[in-house]
Amino acid sequence: MISCTDFMAEIGNYLEGDVAAEVRLQLENHLSHCQSCQVVLDSTRKTLKIVTESGSFDLPEAVFKPIAKGIMARIRNEQD
Amino acid sequence: MGYLGELELGSSFPQFVTFEEAFGFVPQIFRAQTLLPRVIEAEAALLTTILLKEQALSQIQKEYVVLTLAQAHRNVYCVTAHHEMLRLLGVPEQQLDRILVDYAQAGLSPADTDLLSFTLKLGTNGPFVSRDDVTGTLAHGWTDESMLEAILTTALTNFLCTLSTGVGAAPEFTPRLIPETGPSPLFGKPSSEGSSGPYLRAIERNPADFPPFAFFVDEYGFVPNIFRAQTLRPDVLEAEASAIRTVLLTDDVLTRLQKEYILLAVSAANLNTYWVAVHGQVLRTIGVAAEDADQIATDHHHARVAEADRALLDFALKLAVQPSRFGRPDIEALRHHGFAEEQILEAVAITSLTNFLNTMQMGLGAPPDFAPRRVFRPDPSKIAHLSAPGPRPIFKEQLVDPDAELVAKVRNGDLDVFEELINRHSRRVYRTLVGVLGNEDEARDAMQDTFLKAFQHLGDFQQRSKFSTWLVSIASNTGLERLRERRPVESLDDDGSASEEGFRPRDVRAWTDDPEALCAKTETRTLVEKTVMKLPAKYRAVVVLRDLEQLSIADTAEALGLRIPAVKARHLRGRLMVREALSPHFSGGARGVTV
Repeated sequence: MISCTDFMAEIGNYLEGDVAAEVRLQLENHLSHCQSCQVVLDSTRKTLKIVTESGSFDLPEAVFKPIAKGIMARIRNEQD
Repeated sequence: MGYLGELELGSSFPQFVTFEEAFGFVPQIFRAQTLLPRVIEAEAALLTTILLKEQALSQIQKEYVVLTLAQAHRNVYCVTAHHEMLRLLGVPEQQLDRILVDYAQAGLSPADTDLLSFTLKLGTNGPFVSRDDVTGTLAHGWTDESMLEAILTTALTNFLCTLSTGVGAAPEFTPRLIPETGPSPLFGKPSSEGSSGPYLRAIERNPADFPPFAFFVDEYGFVPNIFRAQTLRPDVLEAEASAIRTVLLTDDVLTRLQKEYILLAVSAANLNTYWVAVHGQVLRTIGVAAEDADQIATDHHHARVAEADRALLDFALKLAVQPSRFGRPDIEALRHHGFAEEQILEAVAITSLTNFLNTMQMGLGAPPDFAPRRVFRPDPSKIAHLSAPGPRPIFKEQLVDPDAELVAKVRNGDLDVFEELINRHSRRVYRTLVGVLGNEDEARDAMQDTFLKAFQHLGDFQQRSKFSTWLVSIASNTGLERLRERRPVESLDDDGSASEEGFRPRDVRAWTDDPEALCAKTETRTLVEKTVMKLPAKYRAVVVLRDLEQLSIADTAEALGLRIPAVKARHLRGRLMVREALSPHFSGGARGVTV
């Protein structure tokens, strides 16, 4: 039998689908009777989706265009 | 009986009536698919439009194509069935046996013989087919219309051979023994680069008044070149569109995602760059990261897919590429993974359809609809017969760097092109810097340094990795230097304690089913940004590169100068910390985000 700590150690690989079949069985067996690990797994999946789809730290064109122009000006200066 | 369960569809099932009329019986290959009548309908439409209608080629000419190719595939079911078909069409048995021994010595006209050489090459060694093969065959007096039919018949034969192997169809007549032939033919050089198609004439059609094209526009947003190349046969396009609609776009047996996985992995195994690009793109639109799709194409064993789906891909690839080794145990393996009969049947149908679409593309030479991320081509040092029993030879797979052309231009002195590279990668560079520095103002500032360094060192860029990966590692180094200068306390280095181990989540209240519905997108974004910024630097950088920029583990490791186990450990810890911080906003009873 594996513990919640064991489960937490493998949860990353489990989410990536990167565990051997027998480990997977053990993890799923643990999940079947551990409410809190179920919650952590489910909410970690949802976290991943929220973060990925959040569009965080996107750079608006209005911000990066002047930066790009600035970089190009410096490059051309250095070449002359 | 085949490998899978069967149902009684009744004598009035329209496709079975058609088969009774055409052949006098319902072939085993279709009886074995009664669990999914919609699939039989789609297949019957392809079969009748491509094989049974007489237009540019006669039915006998097309049956010769099927017979010789099924023989090359050593597919006893198809050889037996089409031997019988040809007998029914009035070809003497003696003549059929001569064709099976050696079609080139069977007294066929030079044009017919040449057409069969072409279809055999296409059907067994598709990646080696080039424009020269097509123009060479056209020179024997064949029209574009007849070549199109020959190509479609070849694709249909590959479909039928894969399908009959997958469902375990048993011959309905005395099985024809397939004569032992000499060593498989070798077909010269693989198709040369740059000789892209389309090879045949086609007619412009307007999606507004051409229903099959309207369907593709609806589904894909454009009409893929592979279908534009077949406008000489609108009825076949109808049948293809309908097969795609009822076999690929349905979601009730296998999921759409599972089907796209099969299409991608099998197309890659068939070295079909065109279809790999299409299905990679489709997967992106349904939310699969480009890197993950690439991984499925190159080696699904290390891809981020569920264990059962990996078994599904093992199954599909074996059926598509090593049919001689495929058998009942492969069906059992999928049952063992929990797949239902209908799902296994649909996997067989999708795999067969992929072989159909791949063969068709290699014959038509339809050019890519957009720049492929990877080019698959045969390794010239290992030219061999693709359909030979046993595993296929190993092929080279080349990484295509979408920036290579621009980088080369800059290196040749065209400075202005560098601005395009900045535009393409500014977001990725910025995010990397935010991840490392944890400060948006500083990150904007450090962008200048990053791109200047990249420009100055462009001559050192070895093209062993992609330009974007190289650029991200420059960005991360630039960020790290600044971090060391200004804040010696905070660094990405390990602080010596085994802090990644044993992180215990504290908030274990269940989350709502659809947490994103709780708040507006801008609120979620602000919350995520704040949460990520609060992470310690070493977790922040990994979370930003993996979860926001969706870099692969290997690329993240390269960019940050970390080893892969360290990336994995930090990524997990970082994710769990983000989860903990978001939990109060999304757990049951929470009312979303107040920031």
